[in-house]
Amino acid sequence: MAEAIPTPGSSAALRWQLRQTVELTARTLEMTFPRQGRSAAARRALATQMHSVGNRSMPFMVVTMAFIGAIISFQTALQSQEILPDLSQVGATFTKLLVRDLAASVGALPLATRVGAGIAAEIGSMVVTEQVDALRMNNADPVETLVVPRFVACVVMGTVVLVIGGFVAFGAGVVVGQLAFGIEARTFASTALLNGGDVALGLAKCATYGGAIALVSSERGLSAFGGSEGVGRATTEAVVGSCFAIIVLNVLLSTAGYFLLPAL
Amino acid sequence: MAIRFVDVHKRFGTKEVLAGVTLRIEDGECFFIVGASGVGKSVLIKHLVGLLRPDAGDVFLGDQEVSRLSEDALRPVRKRCAMVFQSSTLFDSMTCAENVALPLRKHRRMAMPDALAEARRRLEAVRMERFADALPAALGDGLRKRVAIARALTLEPEVVLFDEPTTSLDPVSARRTDQLIATLCAQEGVTAVVVSHDLTSIFGIADRVAMLYKGGVRFLGTPEEFRASDDPVVRQFVRGEAEGPMEV
Amino acid sequence: MSPGARGLALPAFLGRQALALLTQIGGLALLARDLGRAARPESGGLDRVELLRHLYRMGVRSVPVVAATAAFTGGIMVLQAAPFVEQFGAKDFVGFFATFVTFRELGPLLIGLIFNGRVGANNTAELATMVVTEQVDGLRALAIDPVSYLVLPRVVAMTLTMVALVVLGDAVALLGALGVAHVLLDVTFAQFLDSALSRLESWDLLVGLLKALLFGVGIALASCFYGLRVRGGAPGVGRAVNASVVASAAGIFITDYLSTFLLP
Repeated sequence: MAEAIPTPGSSAALRWQLRQTVELTARTLEMTFPRQGRSAAARRALATQMHSVGNRSMPFMVVTMAFIGAIISFQTALQSQEILPDLSQVGATFTKLLVRDLAASVGALPLATRVGAGIAAEIGSMVVTEQVDALRMNNADPVETLVVPRFVACVVMGTVVLVIGGFVAFGAGVVVGQLAFGIEARTFASTALLNGGDVALGLAKCATYGGAIALVSSERGLSAFGGSEGVGRATTEAVVGSCFAIIVLNVLLSTAGYFLLPAL
Repeated sequence: MAIRFVDVHKRFGTKEVLAGVTLRIEDGECFFIVGASGVGKSVLIKHLVGLLRPDAGDVFLGDQEVSRLSEDALRPVRKRCAMVFQSSTLFDSMTCAENVALPLRKHRRMAMPDALAEARRRLEAVRMERFADALPAALGDGLRKRVAIARALTLEPEVVLFDEPTTSLDPVSARRTDQLIATLCAQEGVTAVVVSHDLTSIFGIADRVAMLYKGGVRFLGTPEEFRASDDPVVRQFVRGEAEGPMEV
Repeated sequence: MSPGARGLALPAFLGRQALALLTQIGGLALLARDLGRAARPESGGLDRVELLRHLYRMGVRSVPVVAATAAFTGGIMVLQAAPFVEQFGAKDFVGFFATFVTFRELGPLLIGLIFNGRVGANNTAELATMVVTEQVDGLRALAIDPVSYLVLPRVVAMTLTMVALVVLGDAVALLGALGVAHVLLDVTFAQFLDSALSRLESWDLLVGLLKALLFGVGIALASCFYGLRVRGGAPGVGRAVNASVVASAAGIFITDYLSTFLLP
């Protein structure tokens, strides 16, 4: 072994994890667009992963996002009563906030919990049961066979799930506005404040978070060691690492959006 | 304390593991339960401390029927009847000394420093004092097993169940473990029930041997009778032959 | 499959899902009852050594990730709201909004999710590993009640830790919010504080802490429950962790939603 693995939890371990993740990102991006096209097996693996990330996360995400939409709408309307003479602008503000940030950034956290834990547990068990070594012995690159399908699936289906989640949150918000504050659904469901920049920023966030979840979780899974306890540790670190990555990326993207794609 | 199994049945799913086992183990005996892997030896002894419940039949520890006791009622039983697991089951978040100190702390109501001091004395008895502050993960199988034995003996039980105590040990550690078990029976009057397929242990220290086969007791007797048995299945097992009538 | 059976596939599926859900809720309730029993002195009572160990591992070691997350989130919150604050001329309200949203919604919710990922997942993995490697049976063979020795100190530690981390996280998030408000909107410290103190009620802080308490108990119970009922060796540990974090996250959102409406 070339280098010792630092003690888990130490700052050396965090730096090591960061470097590993950056390296994995580079290698994954390089292999995501193969020159000779994808083999049938690779396409099948991709389809399986898309089903797992997309379809199988939907029930959980729909429920979660409905509650999130209801909460945000309720609090926005409640607070706006304090400073605004009427509530006609609340809907448009809610929509804009949802599209620009909240659907992606808040939705990505439960998505990271669901998908990130799954990826790390799956790859981690394969590592500790030496299945990944068996892959290597058969000249199959673990990054190409395991990470790339998960990365592509998370970017594509993560975006789809978050967009659908955004619509669900929007619907729940409209219902709450109508029932709790008597705001007409037609007034509330307003896109008056929305512009192309908001949509672009929102979609960019969805895709980035999806990719980050896949890469951070895959890296933790591949670094798992020490039996079932190691798999558990990898899973924990994948969820925390993904959530943290989402929050840091949100700072970067929101700051960039603030200057490049102005809200108003 | 004498032990009795009366017509014990146990099935897992569709697989009938114990199909009516009846067995009596005398007080102070060093009793070996042998048989092929997967025949239900561990399953049988786990019934004695209520870790498994029989589908039918009775299990007596002394005069007490233990198979239908609640978890609360089993607590005094488990203090008198300790078990050393095949996988040692040391708690991996604690050092060896802390592992041994745990039962002292919980049952003798000792404070942590006293319990740790006592634990070190217990570890000396199994020649493990050097590893008192090591975490179990840092030790090999043989060393872990010795700590597990020290932990099982902390409450001075009357019966100790050993699940494959010498499996995966080197020959020297295995004979030391045998010695420890033999001393327990001879000097402290402890009843030892040992699950094993280590023939050297059986012929070295066993008072009596029972062989489980196809859910029942196929053989019961002294090690000499075991060696001399003309039952073809027993003979194949004793001689360790690949070919024969035995079904695994 | 007969045509009749195919017609019943959906109701049968829903029925199975509902039964599985009810079984899990029932199991959680039974665990809560056992905890009550385990707290009695004759079962061993609360183990102080274990309690202190968990308080340190779950609490002290979570401080860096909670503080970092909270600081970023506080900043993002103001960054997202900044355009609207300017549009509606609501600078005097920034301090109040930031504290209100942090105390009531963002603090408990976000730290709950991070706590679930870090501490809850870790706890499930640890207990599940102990079950799989027979350490829990080892404990029972030593006549020690697993619920009293393993679960009770964990539940107490997680509940206390969660409340303490929310208090800390709230404070750090407000610092982040103040920083961004100062840079982007020229809100001074005095303005921020004045706005918060003049409008905020102690009830708002209490609601947040109550939520933290509920989330803490919920995450603790769920993570212990899924850890102890693990099936099927090392891969089972991964599945248990996944089930635990997903169930806790869903529980957090549902509790959050209900408390938003029930605690005005």
